[in-house]
Amino acid sequence: MTDLALEVRDLTKTFRMHRERANSIKHLIAGRGRNRFDEFTALRDVSFEVHEGEVFGVIGQNGSGKSTLLKCMAGILQPNKGSVTVHKRMSALLELGAGFHPELTGRENVFLNAAILGMTRRDIAARFDDIVEFSGLESFIDTPVKTYSSGMYVRLAFAVAINVDPRLLIVDEILAVGDVTFQQRCLEKFVEFRNDGRTIVLVTHDLTSVKNMCDRAIWLRHGVVTGEGDPSELVEAYTEQMLGDHDRGSDGSTRRGSGEITVERVELFTDGGTSPVKRFRTGDSITLRLHYRAERAVPRPVFAIEIEQLGGTVVTAPCTRDVGLLPELLSGTGQVDIRLKDVALLPGTFDIHTSVTDFNRQHVYDHLHLALRIDVMTGRPYESGGVMTLRPEWTIS
Amino acid sequence: MSLRAAAAHRNLLYLLSLKELRTRYKKSLLGWAWSLLNPLSQMLIFSVIFLYVFKAIPPTGDPSGLKNFPLYFLAGLLPFNFFSISVAVSMGAVQGGAGLIKKVQFPHEHLVFSVIVAQFVTLLIELGVLSVAMLIGGNMVLPWLPALLPILILLALFTSGIALILSAANVFYHDVNYLWSIGSQLLFYATPIIYDPKTLDFAPLRYLANYGPTGSFVIAVRNIVYDLRLPAWDRMAYLTLVGVGTFALGVWIFGRLSPRFAEEM
Repeated sequence: MTDLALEVRDLTKTFRMHRERANSIKHLIAGRGRNRFDEFTALRDVSFEVHEGEVFGVIGQNGSGKSTLLKCMAGILQPNKGSVTVHKRMSALLELGAGFHPELTGRENVFLNAAILGMTRRDIAARFDDIVEFSGLESFIDTPVKTYSSGMYVRLAFAVAINVDPRLLIVDEILAVGDVTFQQRCLEKFVEFRNDGRTIVLVTHDLTSVKNMCDRAIWLRHGVVTGEGDPSELVEAYTEQMLGDHDRGSDGSTRRGSGEITVERVELFTDGGTSPVKRFRTGDSITLRLHYRAERAVPRPVFAIEIEQLGGTVVTAPCTRDVGLLPELLSGTGQVDIRLKDVALLPGTFDIHTSVTDFNRQHVYDHLHLALRIDVMTGRPYESGGVMTLRPEWTIS
Repeated sequence: MSLRAAAAHRNLLYLLSLKELRTRYKKSLLGWAWSLLNPLSQMLIFSVIFLYVFKAIPPTGDPSGLKNFPLYFLAGLLPFNFFSISVAVSMGAVQGGAGLIKKVQFPHEHLVFSVIVAQFVTLLIELGVLSVAMLIGGNMVLPWLPALLPILILLALFTSGIALILSAANVFYHDVNYLWSIGSQLLFYATPIIYDPKTLDFAPLRYLANYGPTGSFVIAVRNIVYDLRLPAWDRMAYLTLVGVGTFALGVWIFGRLSPRFAEEM
């Protein structure tokens, strides 16, 4: 058993919801000291342990108590009952650049922000160059941060935060900051952290990052731990719960959306075949057929599919808007064919999800989770690992 | 958070104080001159009123023999202003630190202490200018200045204590802030800044002016820079008690209330 990095024991946190907040002494006196409030329990007897070197996820919907738990772990809120014990040097990233002062220069803010995060002056001085290099703001470091773009601002803030050098890092959401290059650098830094054997606690509702990054997770629901264990299973259960109010198909598929247009079923054909199949081989060319039905005329719908490896890696997620295929109006029934040539998927089981949305992909007409489960069998080329092949050509000289 | 945690984060105190000083007069044309212009304009107003409207006789320094109302006034105003401004700015600093308090764990005391440090630096500069004015006015104040330091430190402790208590209370009830602007005005007149307490006929008022904490600090500072003598030993004992006691009380109360700040803000 490895060392514990963080222990949470029977954590309970209640808030007072003031009906009429006595925010001034007048109210307090006029109400003769009565300060009417309702008690709201944000967390109830939450217990878990995080071991050193683990990437630990906390998932839950908005209002499930995630943020409260995060703030209790970070020492910002005091629990009413129970305890949080931090065994390692901790850094909690709740908000980047909290405490940045717009009139001060980047350099001055780096020192101030690092001090707020608990670094000594010597530590900061030693790491200053790393921080500036990581942020990529060498030429702006002596200008006031009020002249920075919002991207530059968070880059500098993230660079400081990540250089605090914690053994235990608590992160609120995966910090999607800056441009793609910078995000890549952040992700690399997280991976580096993990490979160093440091502990990361990730509080998020981004299920993909939980499945991909976490070793273990808990699921918070209405302030209570509803599940603990393997992230993939937990995410599965969580998704099911979230979609629980919606229709469930007999094959385990779930559907949500406003329903003006729906995908009735999905069929898979291999080239030359006339009847639908559920399996094919690596290298085969296939066609996925989506049968739709529109209750009324729907303008410019966008069809999308998602192919997901069992266990959570989304392999591909194309949509009709990507290729500019935008029918002005669809009504009645019809079909959408997606032909995939020389499919590069390696053997395994894959789930296909479909969705129909409006042009902006904001409004969901229909989302069919688990529309079809398919098996890919060994074909050509064959590779011993991975999800898909890039058709490598080897040479040894 | 305890005083020990605050001490461990002294680097933060240093940087926050530096921030206070650096950002105070940003975006103003006259910049730091304002810290001198404010007391000077007050001095001008009160001097004109007292010397020309009320035809008051300026108190005589004992044993210095100095008889100068503007200097008498400034010697009282500067320590008083340090106190009242520090408390007001501290309340604003804690309130303005909400974003930080809700997102990062750190010793909240430093929001107050950094204000005190920055205001203290200002006070030292102002007293330096006053000392030059005293020299020009004929008061050889230089050998007495070292004796000023312990009084100023006690004043800073007293000010910190009050600032800690009121800025913590202000998080829960914003009235404290408004009450303070009235309270500090009353205190201004209850403190012997524009008058000599000896001239007060009504005994309770004389006692208040003489032995109220702010009055006592003002008299002690004035003893040194205006009268050119050490304050009475019993006054020094009293100030030590008030300074250290208020500070300890402030740290204790603030420490009790600050864990609830994040929730209340």
